[in-house]
Amino acid sequence: MAALIRKALSSRPARFWLTAGGIGVAALLVLVLGAAYRSVSSSVAAYVGQPGIDVWVAPGGVDNLMRSSAFLPAHLPESLATIRGVAAADPIVRAYVTVRDEADPSPAGHRLALIAIGYAAPTGGGGPPALVRGRAPLDSTDIALDRAAATRLGVTLGDTVWVNGRAAVVLGLTGGTNLLATQFLFANLSTVDGASGLRGRASFALVRCTPGVQPAALVGTIRARFPRLSVYPREEFIANNAREVAAGFIPLLTLVAVLGLLAATVLVALLVHAVVEERREDLAVLLALGADARALTGAVIREAVTLAAVGAMLGSAAGLVLRVVLDHVLPVIPLAFRVTDAARILLVFAAAGIGAAAIPVARLRRIDPLEAFRP
Amino acid sequence: MMVLELDRVRRTRGVGPHAVEALRDVSLAVGGGEFVLLEGPSGAGKTTLLAVAAGLLRPTSGDVCLAGRRLPAMSLGECRRHRATRVGFVFQRSNLLPRLTVGENVVLMAVLGGMAREAAKRETTRMLEALGIATLADRYPHELSGGEEQRAAVARALVHGPAIVLADEPTGSLDGVSGRAVAESLGSLAAERGAAVLVATHDVRLRSFASRRVRIVDGRIADSEPDLG
Repeated sequence: MAALIRKALSSRPARFWLTAGGIGVAALLVLVLGAAYRSVSSSVAAYVGQPGIDVWVAPGGVDNLMRSSAFLPAHLPESLATIRGVAAADPIVRAYVTVRDEADPSPAGHRLALIAIGYAAPTGGGGPPALVRGRAPLDSTDIALDRAAATRLGVTLGDTVWVNGRAAVVLGLTGGTNLLATQFLFANLSTVDGASGLRGRASFALVRCTPGVQPAALVGTIRARFPRLSVYPREEFIANNAREVAAGFIPLLTLVAVLGLLAATVLVALLVHAVVEERREDLAVLLALGADARALTGAVIREAVTLAAVGAMLGSAAGLVLRVVLDHVLPVIPLAFRVTDAARILLVFAAAGIGAAAIPVARLRRIDPLEAFRP
Repeated sequence: MMVLELDRVRRTRGVGPHAVEALRDVSLAVGGGEFVLLEGPSGAGKTTLLAVAAGLLRPTSGDVCLAGRRLPAMSLGECRRHRATRVGFVFQRSNLLPRLTVGENVVLMAVLGGMAREAAKRETTRMLEALGIATLADRYPHELSGGEEQRAAVARALVHGPAIVLADEPTGSLDGVSGRAVAESLGSLAAERGAAVLVATHDVRLRSFASRRVRIVDGRIADSEPDLG
């Protein structure tokens, strides 16, 4: 009986699919922003959490890679290396640089502001977390560039670019280093030093423990020795950076999610309300014949939930397609979808469908079965 | 045995100076297998009487007994279930559900009336065959003529074996031939099943099918007489 009642009260297919498409777009918006956030967050985590770095040492008060303007004393890495339990202590310099395409160095040409990481190439810690093509920098003119940045600049392996006015050759393309608004560039320590005027300075010191030494214990030792510096085990530093990324993304993500959900709810409510209005006479007939009002309410809610769920699934499917397309056509926009995101969107939108059914259900409850007798 | 008994039923709409008495001390009894015509001018209270008899409206005072149970004593849910199993309806327009096929419309009523799905399908087939519209089972209502639609509505009214069929102007939108065919089908199939039929109508052509005529004017039973055609 429930199936027949659902069929009797179902909306027109064209209208159903158009509305589901609209809901899908709302779901897609939320998913895309969420996926972009996850991608940025995971890029930062991939860099700061790369193997071989157990402890991050930063200037006092600095707790993340993204926002810091202070520097460590020049001799610090050497001092750290003398501590028992330290296998290696490598400096890195983090600076914002402007990169231009050699082919068009004019002010109107392509140029990008990138986060340059200078490290003790090729063996020092803090290099690229993943190379997609080419190799890591060796000489002072070598750089490895994020794949999306290379696309934006229109350069590839072997091309020369200008980094803060100094020529450098792109010898590697890196992956997982795209922060959406900017990307990473990796070069020899001296290259970034020279390009940014920070010769002899280090932004962070990356410490590797000797085998058998616990990072937490080493953190305590370093803090005792250098009480004015900030010292973090890797996991804590990853969490600090994730929090920093979230602080920029989450308010916008929340706003878009709420607006997307609201748009989807209104769409569902509109369609289901129209169904109840259009089928008012049929509902009156069903009530007169003896159908349970709860069964009719259930059918209306089911229609709303189905619509919202189908819309969410369409949005998720479109998101997966979009990710593949963007990865090939426009890698500047990184999207990291997860199945759990789609499942979460499905659940939330389905719940919104129930909420959206409230007004149509209230309308249904006011239908008088005597309307069936109207000629 | 009486299938429907109305005892001094009053039904008032509105309150205070705007109150309108739609039914005034109406007493009526309809026995199993009877075909009773309820005649009267528009606004006389015919449809209100059908609604009260079906439990769709509660009487302001008086008593209604349908298929052995007193409707005013029932909860709304009980009344609905009793109506679904013991009453069949034929409306002026067929009021078949447009998104269901003829067969599905009839099956839905049978299931609402308490039949299991398979039994409902079997009974639907039998009923459509008896009405000569078995070939239309998979058609949608908009694909039928007016007469075919009303015959499908008769099938829906009788499929679940109700004690009484309440019909409101069932031939009002049909031509003479179709109207006669529908009335004939309704009368004969209801009689076969021992169901009573109470028809509110202006259509004098139906008198030939009636075992009794009841005239209602201004909410009162004006007169009642046997009619043997």
